[in-house]
This record gives sequence, structure tokens and C-alpha cells, in this order.
Amino acid sequence: MKSIKILERLLAAIPIMIGVAILVFLFVRLTPGDPVDLMMGSAGSVSQQEIQALQEEFDLDKPLHVQLYIFLKDVVRGDLGDSFTQREPVTDIIGRALPATIELAFGAAFFAVLFAIPIGVYSAVKQNSITDRLSMAFSFLGISMPAFWFGIILIIVFGVKLGWLPISGRLDYGFNFPSVTGLYLIDTVLARDWPALKNAVLHLILPSIALGMQLLAVLARVTRSSMLEVLRQDYVTLARAKGLREFIVIVKHALRNALIPTITVLGIQIGVLLGGNMIIETVFAWPGLGRLAVDSIFSRDFPLIQGVVMIYAFTYVIANLVVDVLYTYINPKITL
Amino acid sequence: MKNKILLSLVMLLTILFVFAGCSSGNNDQEGTNQTSQEQEEKEQAEKPVAKKEVLTVAIPTEVLTLDPAMHRDRVTETVIRNMFDGLVTRTTDMEIVPEIAESWEQTSPTEWVFKIRQGITFHNGEALTADDVAFTFNRLVTEGAVDGESSPRNGLLGPVEKVEATDEYTAKFTLTEPSPVFLAMLPFQEVVPKDYIEENGSEYFAKNPVGAGPFKFIKKDSKLNEQVIMERYENYWGGSPDISPVGNAQVDVVIFKIMPETASRIAALQAGQVQIVQEIPPDMIEQLEADSNIEVKGADSTRERFIELNVNKPPFDNVKVRQAMNYAVNYEEIVKYILNGNGEALKGPYMPKGFAYNDQIPGYDYNPEKAKELLTEAGYPDGFDVVIDAKADEKDVAEAVANQLRDVDVNASVRVWDYAVLKEKIAEGSRLMIAANWGNGSLDPTGILEPKFKSGGRGNFSFYGNARVDELIAKAMVETDSQKRADYWKEIQQIIYDEAPAVFGYITQELYAQRANVTNWEPSPDGRINLHDVGLE
Repeated sequence: MKSIKILERLLAAIPIMIGVAILVFLFVRLTPGDPVDLMMGSAGSVSQQEIQALQEEFDLDKPLHVQLYIFLKDVVRGDLGDSFTQREPVTDIIGRALPATIELAFGAAFFAVLFAIPIGVYSAVKQNSITDRLSMAFSFLGISMPAFWFGIILIIVFGVKLGWLPISGRLDYGFNFPSVTGLYLIDTVLARDWPALKNAVLHLILPSIALGMQLLAVLARVTRSSMLEVLRQDYVTLARAKGLREFIVIVKHALRNALIPTITVLGIQIGVLLGGNMIIETVFAWPGLGRLAVDSIFSRDFPLIQGVVMIYAFTYVIANLVVDVLYTYINPKITL
Repeated sequence: MKNKILLSLVMLLTILFVFAGCSSGNNDQEGTNQTSQEQEEKEQAEKPVAKKEVLTVAIPTEVLTLDPAMHRDRVTETVIRNMFDGLVTRTTDMEIVPEIAESWEQTSPTEWVFKIRQGITFHNGEALTADDVAFTFNRLVTEGAVDGESSPRNGLLGPVEKVEATDEYTAKFTLTEPSPVFLAMLPFQEVVPKDYIEENGSEYFAKNPVGAGPFKFIKKDSKLNEQVIMERYENYWGGSPDISPVGNAQVDVVIFKIMPETASRIAALQAGQVQIVQEIPPDMIEQLEADSNIEVKGADSTRERFIELNVNKPPFDNVKVRQAMNYAVNYEEIVKYILNGNGEALKGPYMPKGFAYNDQIPGYDYNPEKAKELLTEAGYPDGFDVVIDAKADEKDVAEAVANQLRDVDVNASVRVWDYAVLKEKIAEGSRLMIAANWGNGSLDPTGILEPKFKSGGRGNFSFYGNARVDELIAKAMVETDSQKRADYWKEIQQIIYDEAPAVFGYITQELYAQRANVTNWEPSPDGRINLHDVGLE
């Protein structure tokens, strides 16, 4: 039953994706900027024939509705066209960048959850203590800190001054493990290449912290307020009255119920992490989707912009679906 | 059941975290790109085999392709040029010297014959012959020659019509009309292997490039949006005899790493994680020079920067107003204070280093009184309001210009644009003052005065048009007598100078920084980073 519901939801994503595709197609063409002209750069002489040849090659000489028709015809076949600047299928280019972005998003989410839940729970249990006040002030700072600035500070402190961590890219040169998923943490484990795994983890630390900081702050606050509410419930009092250890009461009885809002926020935020990391990917030279989006927008690489935005839309659809499915496990009262 | 899952998850997370924590503590045990000497010594003591020497260069934008025919991008060129050699190359003084071509001869105004050096091999072991040279250039100039697509580099070669191999080591170029800049454009065209491309197709070639340059491409771990890795080619023919040392490259491995953020590039250099960095902002020089591990180096850029004045619209339809702008702006001061001295103010529309520079042009010296006089004569005694349009990288200079213009009662402000949007507005003719720049790697007036000041030129943002200038440009572009050609270009410069369709600006020094242990590397005015001779101490 559940799997049918999930399938239904996935099928419902198809019209959404096509709608997104048409909108992006129109928006990028309404935005000022001529891809062929930008490609020729501002240097030296360029012949008019050359510009025309490229326009023909990219179908830019055709009327808008013809271009849209060609685009949609290809999209339903799973072909997003070739990038103007890189002359490669958009799906290949995105396929290379996507694992990097996924790895970073999960690194950031992992970092955020790891610290946010203990901080949130502790602050709720010791409400109004100095620790509570401090951690809430800290989370306020986390929310308001610009990710760009925080990233540079991390680089200067841990990369330049202390020299502990690599500050750019995903892996150093010289490892040799087969690429299976494109996710280095998984590929290195599959190949049992532990030095490479360590190297990949080291590369992941700083960008994950920079990207996950805001999420950490948000999750800590959400967990705290939801814990506060749950701790006042009768069943928590009952559990205590039964003489259970306080730790068991908090973790087993209170936390599980308090986590629902946290998971909702996390689910939505994973979408944000996957789609909103242009700045972090730029600062840490992380070869992911965010940087691809930025580069493609500046060069008006229409097919690439379309592809990246469609992937973003798809990510949101999936992230929401996953959250809904997770609910049903945490709270059996909820159905899909 | 669910508890167990939760518990194991928590445990996994804990383990991972502890692991990560430990790793950061003993980073130097088996890491891979240590740079400090201590670590290297330790490494060498531990391992009998010498560690590979790796030189990492941080570049600001991604590499678009590895096929030399399919881009018009300087960063891509910089990377590719280390894997491929050209017929000719340039010294850091911009002198053209033989590379793959041993010698050449212009046999008629439209025919050039190149003698190809013997004994050069591509990275796949095949010998490089005149066939490869002919194939390379025909691939650039023939429509649809790259798997049905056309090369965007056709225009760079001007009137090249076809290239034939007349014997195994002789290639004959036929031009449709004389092209005085033909030779100057050749250093940027890399020779590719004919048989390899014909067998495998251009798409495969772009992913598995094979050249005849000092480094060969390593596919493993190379990703165009992340890094391009090359290893020394052991059977390299040695490189241009005019640029010493001749022989194999010095370092074992070269990595071009894409790092778009300036602050990150500089941090990586300071941390020793990269050895050469491009595009250093002038305000960072002081800080970097204070670090004894780092050296800052500059090379005169071939990119001119000026503010173009829309001659179709008031007030700039009046030549006096345009001249007044030139008198009112003090670029010497801007270069001195905003660029920290890393640049040179221009007197007219062309740079002094280029061919046929007119040194008789006196330049508009800074003279606000004269500017005010001219404005009054032109009917603007109280000045006017104007917006200077700029890209983000021109913002500081544009603001200084606006400030100076306010001294002559011209109420100027600056608006920063995304270039793609600005470019469309410029084409519509709706903008008045545009802080623009134009590159001219050929160091010949053709590369800048034609696109910028000919009627309808591709980069003519001022909409300037002068029948005499157009006529002279047309003549100069086919004249092969270099004295006559120089005279044409000099007259063109004089006319443009007098009519002042732009506030003639400046050229910058392009700034690079390197670790002190990098030896024998000099930046080049054309922006190339040639790593053939570079070593690591």
C-alpha cells in the first residue's frame, strides 16, 4: 500500500518537472544576454559568419516556439541537450557534479544533526541555565553568520594558520580507486582504500561545517522548543513516576516524539543544502552543482541552466517525499 | 527493532566522527600533498622510491574543453597549451619563436610555407608530420569539421583558406587575402594528431586528448570542473630551442585546480596547498609580500581598459564634451592609488607595447580647468548627470573616475552590472558611459582598433564611426608592407585620439603569486602559464 502511494507521488512529479522545464526555458531566454556573444569574449576580432554558424548550431536562430518544441521533444527522451560552452551532453556534466553536491549536503546535514540534537535536548532539559543561554546565543550567531564569511574564516584558521585541513577540492592527487557511485566516501569504502577515505573525509570537514552551520543553529532551536513542549506531557511525567532513569525518559520517551518537527525541518533543509550551496562550493572550490549553476548563468549556457534547475526541482520533490515517508515511521498515526 | 536501527545509526555516526577527529590530528602520516620540507624529508626517509614532484596551479574558472579547436577561452588555453605545442610560440617578452615549425617562409603575399621539425612524437607515440599540421588547421577553418560542429576559433586565423602537406615535413598555408597578423595568431593554435582523431572521433579526443606538448593528460581524477592533471611526457622533443632550458619538463606532475574564489586561492597559496596563483587583486600585494614563502610577480596585460562614450547621444555627441572627459580624468593617479602602481595610463586608444604604436600622440593631460572650459563651450557650463556602467571588476576604478568627474561639475555615479545584461543594453545603444575592456593577445592594432573603433565593430560600444578610419582599417588589414601598415595604423590612432570616443584609460599589470620554492617561472603578458621549464626546490 505504502509503495503504491510512493509511486503515485513520484508519478505526480512528472507534470511538475515538465512545468518547471517550460518555465526555465522561457525565463532564461527572456533574461538579457547573448550566449554566443559571451562565448566569443571581449578580445580580438570575430567574423560574423562564425557567430551565425554558432547560432545555427545552438538552434538560436529558430523561432522561440520551435526551440521549445525541440527542447521538450528531447526532454521527454531524457536528453537535456548539449552545453553551449562545454559541448558535452548536459546530463554528463550534471552527472559529474551531482555526487559532489550530494556528498557535501549529507556531510553538512550530518554535522548539523550530530551537534544540533544534543545541544537542543540539553538546552531544553536545563532550560534557562547558562549553558542553555550560551547555546541559544551561539545558534543565533550561526543563523545570522553569512556562510561566505564563515567559510573564509574556517579556511584561514584551519587551513592557513593551523595547517590541519585541506581547503579546496574533494581529494588529493594520487589515489587510485574505481569510481562506482561518484560519492568518494562510498567508493573508497567499496575499494577498501582507507587512506583515500581518510583523505576524502578530511576534505569534507571544512565545507560541511561551513554549509551545515546554519542548519545546526536552526535544528538546535527547533529541537529545544519541541523538547520543552514534550517534556511537559503527561506520559513523560508517567515515565518518571514509573521510576525510569532520567536518561531513558529523555531519550526514549521524550526525544522520539520531539523529533518530528526536527525531521520536517531537516527534510526541507536538505533540499536547501542541495540547492543553496553555490557560495560554499565556490569558496571551497567544490566541483558541484551549485558552481555549475553559477557558471552556466554567467555564460548564459541555456541547456545547462535548464538542466541544473530541473535537477533542483526534482531534489525538492524527492526531499519532501522522503520526509513524508519518514513521518510514517516515526509517528504511525500519520499516513501518506 | 526500530530502537536497534536508531542505536546502530548513532553508533555509526559516533565512529565516523571519532575517525574524522583522529584523522585531523595526525594529518601528516600518510597524506599525499605535503609541502613543508620536514614532511617531505620524513616521507623520503620512509619510502625508498622518490615521491613525485607535484606542481599545483590555481586557476579562477573552469576548463571548458580539452579540444584545442573548441573554445575561445583564455583559462582553457592556458591549461591546454601545456599538453599541446604550436607551430610557433612566444617568449615572455612576446617575441615569436619557432616551436614545432623549424622555420617558415612567406612565398607570396597569400602563401606561407612551414618546415616541420623532425622527430617530434605525440603522447601516443605517433610521429608528428605535416599531415597533422594540415589537419589541425583545416579542422579550425572548415565549417562543420569537428564532428559536424564548427570551431569557434576560425576568426582568430583570419583569411586562412586551406593548408596542405606538400611533403612529410612541409606544410603550405593558403590565405584568401594577405594577413599581416597571421604569424601573431599562430602561438595560440595547437597541433593535434590526425590519425588519432580520425580513428576515435572528436568527442573521444576531447575526453582523451593527445598532444605533442611537454605534459600528457592523465584522465584518472581529471574533471574539467575540478582539476586537470598532467604528467611529464618522457619522450618530449625538448621545446623551442630559443627558450632555454631545452629538454623534458622539470616537474613530474602538474595539476591545474579550479578555485573560483580569490580569497580561497590566496589562502591555498599561503597554506602551501597550491604553488602558483592567478589573478591577485592589487590590494593583496602588501600582505602577500610580507610572507617570505611567497613571491608576487606581474606581467603587463594585453587588455586595454577605457570608458567608452556613446557618440550618438547627448552630451557625448559633442566632441568637446568627450575631450573634456579626457581632460577631467586623471588615470595616472588612479593607477597609482587604486591599482597600487600596477598598471600604466594610456595616452590614446592603443598600448605602447604593440606594433605600430603612434608615439606622437601627446595624451590628454589632467587639466580640470580646460575640461570646464570645453564643457562651457559645448553648452554645459553647469555640467550634467551621467551614470558610468561597469562590471564588478571595474567598479573601484569607475568610482574613482566618477569622483574626478564631479570636480568638473559632471554629476557621475556608477552602476554595476552583470556583463551579459549590460552587453545587451549597450547593443541597444541606451547606455552613455561604459567602463569596458578589450583584450588583444596579438599585440597588433588589428585585434583592438578594428573591433572597437570601426563602424559596426563587434566591440564598438561608443558607436563611433569615421569614414576615414574605416577606410584606413580596411587598407591596413590587408597591407603586407609593414612600414605602410604601421603608417595607416598610426593615422588611425591620431584620428581616434582627436575625436575621443572614449576616455582613454590604462592597461593593468596582471598579478600572479607563487611559492618561493617554484623556480624558473615568469608570467607572460598573454596570460599563458607555461610550465615546461618550471621546477620545484
